[in-house]
Amino acid sequence: MADKEKRRSGATPPGMTEGKATKSDSDREFLSQAGVGELLRGAILKMVEARSDDPIGFLADHFCNLASASETGTAGGSDGDHLNNGPLSAGAQEQQHLNRALWHLRLTHHSQRSAFSNNVRVAYDLLNLTGPLRRSGEAPEAPDGSCTDSPTEGGGGVKGGLYTQTLQCLCSEGGVPASTSAPLLQRLHCQDHEAVPYDIFRHGVLTCAVFSDYIRQAQRLYAEVCCPDEGPASRPLCLAVLGTLKEALETSQGCEANCCDNANTKVNPCLEANVKALRYLEASAKISPDKLGQAMAGAQTRGPGGNMDAKEFENAAAELFITRVKVVS
Amino acid sequence: MNRFNSTVPDDEYLADSNVLFYLSDAVTQLLEHKEEYTQFGVIRYFAEYFSSVKNSNHVLFREYNYIRATPHNRASFIRVFWRCYRQIGKSGDSLSVLEYRSLLHLLCPDFPLAMVQSAARIVLMDDAIDCLMSFSDFLYALQLQFYYPEFLDSVLVIYQDLLAGKSPNTVIVPTSTSIEQLPSVAAEETDKEKQPQDGVEPSTLAQCVDALCDRFKRSHPPRSCMREVLEQTNKVSYYSFLMSLAKHETINQTIGALPSMAEFLIDPEMDQELDKLITQISVSPGSNSSGSAVGGLKEVQRRASPRRNIHHRRKMEVESDGSTEETDSSEN
Repeated sequence: MADKEKRRSGATPPGMTEGKATKSDSDREFLSQAGVGELLRGAILKMVEARSDDPIGFLADHFCNLASASETGTAGGSDGDHLNNGPLSAGAQEQQHLNRALWHLRLTHHSQRSAFSNNVRVAYDLLNLTGPLRRSGEAPEAPDGSCTDSPTEGGGGVKGGLYTQTLQCLCSEGGVPASTSAPLLQRLHCQDHEAVPYDIFRHGVLTCAVFSDYIRQAQRLYAEVCCPDEGPASRPLCLAVLGTLKEALETSQGCEANCCDNANTKVNPCLEANVKALRYLEASAKISPDKLGQAMAGAQTRGPGGNMDAKEFENAAAELFITRVKVVS
Repeated sequence: MNRFNSTVPDDEYLADSNVLFYLSDAVTQLLEHKEEYTQFGVIRYFAEYFSSVKNSNHVLFREYNYIRATPHNRASFIRVFWRCYRQIGKSGDSLSVLEYRSLLHLLCPDFPLAMVQSAARIVLMDDAIDCLMSFSDFLYALQLQFYYPEFLDSVLVIYQDLLAGKSPNTVIVPTSTSIEQLPSVAAEETDKEKQPQDGVEPSTLAQCVDALCDRFKRSHPPRSCMREVLEQTNKVSYYSFLMSLAKHETINQTIGALPSMAEFLIDPEMDQELDKLITQISVSPGSNSSGSAVGGLKEVQRRASPRRNIHHRRKMEVESDGSTEETDSSEN
């Protein structure tokens, strides 16, 4: 609440003298009429929740998103002529909803679990709006970007095609090459005509987010193993590292029981384990280099066995992950 | 990896980010220009405000107190200065202190002369202050002086104490109180006349500077750079020290406002826009041969005043949201 007070004092600068009291009163009125207080409170809360590394950029995006949401809401939503250009605008509208949903999903890192869950819900509701049943009842988003607690059964679920598209975008934005993410998407895939319920949607989104992080870590791991000026790393070394990685993943699956303690109630234990595995991976790369070093030293004594390039390493690491993702049926 | 240590309290996170400063300024500006800024809605106004802060265009034509209020504003102003007047560097002109001040006044109406003079002293090593300076020399000196003024002032006090022969231990304590009432440029000059300009022992100065850094949390040049500079000589004067800092590439990168000294004439984005502008000018008769620097300024004005042509920008933004983010990632 301290921030709120500071903001107030900014609205009426301390230099204002009593002669300007009337002006400051009208300013106050203006601000409350325009809803500035609510707007800024919402923005600050969102920002503190997301803890972005670039708060200014975050606010810029936040306000831009709100502005375009409210502008399209008033321009496209209420007029009656969307009946005759319906089929044409449906695609565009869907694209717009997808973009906004992705924006919400990008807001918070998945490790900020409750905030991330909120955003997944907002994104899901947005995509659900696109469904033909809900077209007429479309409402512009609340000004603070929060999700209205409307039940999601109304839309019947997000269309499968849209769901798959969302996952693809998430992976490619996360810096994962399409070839690497393809097997994962294969597992999470839903048919275009299917209606995806919220749980599946959340599972897919979270898996993709964790997977993107995992692949980035794997890429970093490879960079650690290979010396940049000596070309690709040797195969035995990489295999040793991957072996350690696999072990860590298996260890993490063994500890599902304790990691559920601190997790939210709804969290899928398998995913939670993957999050855990991410930490193990980081740990095995940095915190316990002796174990890794041991394995690598052992591998080196076995003599040369050819090289492994970054792509191959990435694929092998990805496979370790993907085999642990259950197939969505 | 900030997101993994969410142990920083919210207050601290907000304070570090200076967000509250910008929010209160945004509201103040909004109140001062109600009619103008609300025609496209309050939300759009805030969106424009923070986009311009993000793109470093927000400092243009603002008062001095604003442009020096946060590190980001300081860096942004230096960047704007460079972008506007890069052409001077290209044409190789050298200008005097007063001329540089006039240029700065076009961007910030109350930019103080003292700041310009301090930067000039770094370039000219406190000698013949009315000499002409090349744009690049002045630019990087101004960057140092404008970005770290509080720190440099304290270093000056330490330096003068050292020159006067006080022992470094007694030096540090009094400076902590004297920062606020620091003698401005005039007092400093009378000091100079009394003191012989021999310089001091670099290792002693390095010790004192290191102790000083402890008090200036983050608003000082990287310690390693200063140590490196001081290790290179066996006698150092205040201005030779500052000159080396101004030309130090790592410090320049730390501030992050300007390209490296070797490339400071190159700004592909702006060049492209300039080319466009020049073709426009050459098409319309009667406006030939306006000075290149003026052309550059006009160009920046057009790019940088978000609220004047709010409508135009809105259209642009809908199309090119992603691309602006990309160009900005290098600045932050």
